[in-house]
Amino acid sequence: MINYNQFTLDNGLRVLVHEDKSTPLVAMNILYDVGSRDEDPEYTGLAHLFEHLMFGGTANIPEFDRPLQMVGGENNAFTNNDITNYYLTIPSANIETGFWLESDRMQELNFAQKSLDTQKNVVIQEFNQRYLNQPYGDALLNLRPLAYKVHPYRWPTIGMDISHIEKADIKLIKSFFYSHYAPNNAIMVLSGNINFNNALALSQKWFGPVERRTISPRNLPAEPPQTEERILTIEKDVPANAIYKVWHTGPRNGPDHFTLDLITDLLAGGESGRLYTKLVRERKMFSEINAYITSDIDPGLIIVQGKLMKGIKSETAEKAINEVIEELESNNDLNEEMEKVKNKFESSSVFSNTSILNKAVSLAYYELMGNAELVNKEVDLYRKVSQEMITTAIRKYFIPSNCSTLHYKSTRKEK
Amino acid sequence: MNNLKREQPPVYPVEKVTIPDTKSTVLSNGVQVYAIEAGTEDIMRVEFTFRAGQVKESMPLLASTTNMMLTEGSENYSSEELNRLLDYYGIFHNTSSEKDRAGLVMFFLSKHIDKVLELSREILFHPVFPEEELSSLLKKRLRWFLVNREKVQNLSMDQFFESIFGKNHPYGHKIKGSDFEKLNTAQISDFHSKYYNPGNMAIIISGKLHEKSIDLLDKYFGGLATGEVAYYDDNRKVNSQKRNRIHIEKAGTVQTSIRIGSTTINKRHSDYPGLKVVDSILGGYFSSRLMKNIREEKGYTYGISSSVSSLDLTGYKVISTEVGKENLQNTLDEIYREIRLLQSVPLMKEELSIVRNYMSGEMVRMFDGPFALADSFKSVWEFGLDSSYYLRLAEKINTIDPDEIIQLARTYYNIDDLYQITAGTK
Repeated sequence: MINYNQFTLDNGLRVLVHEDKSTPLVAMNILYDVGSRDEDPEYTGLAHLFEHLMFGGTANIPEFDRPLQMVGGENNAFTNNDITNYYLTIPSANIETGFWLESDRMQELNFAQKSLDTQKNVVIQEFNQRYLNQPYGDALLNLRPLAYKVHPYRWPTIGMDISHIEKADIKLIKSFFYSHYAPNNAIMVLSGNINFNNALALSQKWFGPVERRTISPRNLPAEPPQTEERILTIEKDVPANAIYKVWHTGPRNGPDHFTLDLITDLLAGGESGRLYTKLVRERKMFSEINAYITSDIDPGLIIVQGKLMKGIKSETAEKAINEVIEELESNNDLNEEMEKVKNKFESSSVFSNTSILNKAVSLAYYELMGNAELVNKEVDLYRKVSQEMITTAIRKYFIPSNCSTLHYKSTRKEK
Repeated sequence: MNNLKREQPPVYPVEKVTIPDTKSTVLSNGVQVYAIEAGTEDIMRVEFTFRAGQVKESMPLLASTTNMMLTEGSENYSSEELNRLLDYYGIFHNTSSEKDRAGLVMFFLSKHIDKVLELSREILFHPVFPEEELSSLLKKRLRWFLVNREKVQNLSMDQFFESIFGKNHPYGHKIKGSDFEKLNTAQISDFHSKYYNPGNMAIIISGKLHEKSIDLLDKYFGGLATGEVAYYDDNRKVNSQKRNRIHIEKAGTVQTSIRIGSTTINKRHSDYPGLKVVDSILGGYFSSRLMKNIREEKGYTYGISSSVSSLDLTGYKVISTEVGKENLQNTLDEIYREIRLLQSVPLMKEELSIVRNYMSGEMVRMFDGPFALADSFKSVWEFGLDSSYYLRLAEKINTIDPDEIIQLARTYYNIDDLYQITAGTK
């Protein structure tokens, strides 16, 4: 159970405070309601590049990290399709330094050419390191445009092409900042060793003066329903054949989210999952296999991905995956297996909530989806999933016309 | 900005950490237990640790495979049943095998402690090592290995260990595809019976403990025969190889991986806390010199870091990064330039104060919560040290001066002694 109180400043900044006096630290998490889905298709990767620039300093504070480290703090950030999220942890006596730093960069950045040039290079190296310089690293670069034809989820957070990063200029960066970074487009969570009254006073003092801004309206094109199966085969010098299968889901807030989450846990939650047991352990077709949902705010994807053992044909392996899913649909006695994944989910939730930072990130995310209180209901919602809901969801989502498949076929001759 | 003077708030010194006591006790058969009471949730972690790591193996893969085979079937449970039960009780388990130690860690809701200990005993002391499961595991591991070998960072790291520890030392074992064909169940059983001996085990339990926790440990582990603890220690000396510049050519890569470092002192040496500070300045945190220069100034890389690690027989330090191949030479030059600067120009007051405060903050994090406490305990205990090591580290962080930093950098970062391994397309 995560207890919290909340308030909204006049400028629209929403603040949630969770007190946990068992730690000497405070976590401060600021979520901006902007992700790669909000990018111009001509300039993809901008939200993530921008995350790097947020550490480039302001007129008041030339370097973000130094003063934070000077008070024993630590920070990082991540960007995904939906949000850009910044967090720091700091010994509680020095939490005001966090307020000073975060409110300052919410107010205005330096927009220095030098910082932009360097961070473009850093992001290009990140692109190379994560997506190009390892086998199967480009899977999502290929899968997204296969599954999405219209919605901006068709490109990955890093961007659909490195040239988009290369051509970003200061003018574009400035306009991105003023149309997305603002108190009325952000949610702040303080979690840990801090009193509510202190959090309120410090929020008013430091964030109160940051002016409200006009946020670009979000008019994202809805992805039209997929009507036929899509298949892409990539022949490449990779160590083994691999399969990625994706199916469209509903939105994160939709009625089937927890059902699909539970289905992927039945399939691949740990070594006792069905895909692992049947296809890795028993039939020895895959060296590894996994299944999960992307949990995006707009309709996302179910992903099943596996690497094949030597000598196994892609067609055989793919058929075997489909059989495991069909078996799950026709099984009438899932009670014990459901109880197993529900217990694991509950345990996982308890462990996750031992970290003040995890609690802060979860609270911010649930608040963004419309109701922070749901953070305390997710175990119940997951537990409510029934056998009937599973069967119905499999019939609704796991159908060939809703599926895109990516095959990697290895061109390598193995000795 | 409206009316607010955006002056920096006052900076308070990071408070000294208080390290809670670890209670040491023994089970009926003499097995050593360390208990750390902490946390607010009803959860626990129990770790069973043995000197059964890579250092004890006579051939590559033996230690790690024995460890991974522990959950592949026991006298009372098949591998499938074991995994199903672990999941059913919401238990997170890690079997881990490192250079010196290996064992099992279980994270669980306190209410399931009985079941956790029963399953742990099965896993650790009653494995059966079925032929068929070993053969499947090795085939799977070979596939993973082939994927990993495509990544330049693995190629450079494996070569680095071979170069600094020597081909013939188990710390330096570099795995080859053919190694996956050499292991059999007799070797696994033999390794298990030698090194997973209850007499060679320590248990570290942490979390919201209750009165019965130790009694339950005694119920499941106190009756095991501890027998003779055979050490089989030949402690082969670490012998770094002669050649200290190696490039591994791999066609078609867009980045080249760099590892620069050597063996060094470990935690038992009195200079170690000081070396930790020097390492942090060089590449141990976001505002380190290598990060500032090579990422934030030049944009050559997504990340660069340095670290110092302790092993039982030695220690090692390593600088790691992946850079665009066009920037390889520039990066190497800059790394050596940074080391020389550290050896010749005294640190400015401000930088010293940043690294002090950053490291003091890190120490707060190292003792925040039951699981962090257990990790911090283990990482001194395994060297025969106690929490006074952390007091010495805290003291060194606060008292080290620019002269001592120069001296340490000269002693421990002698450029002629460093190994330089690169992997990628030239």
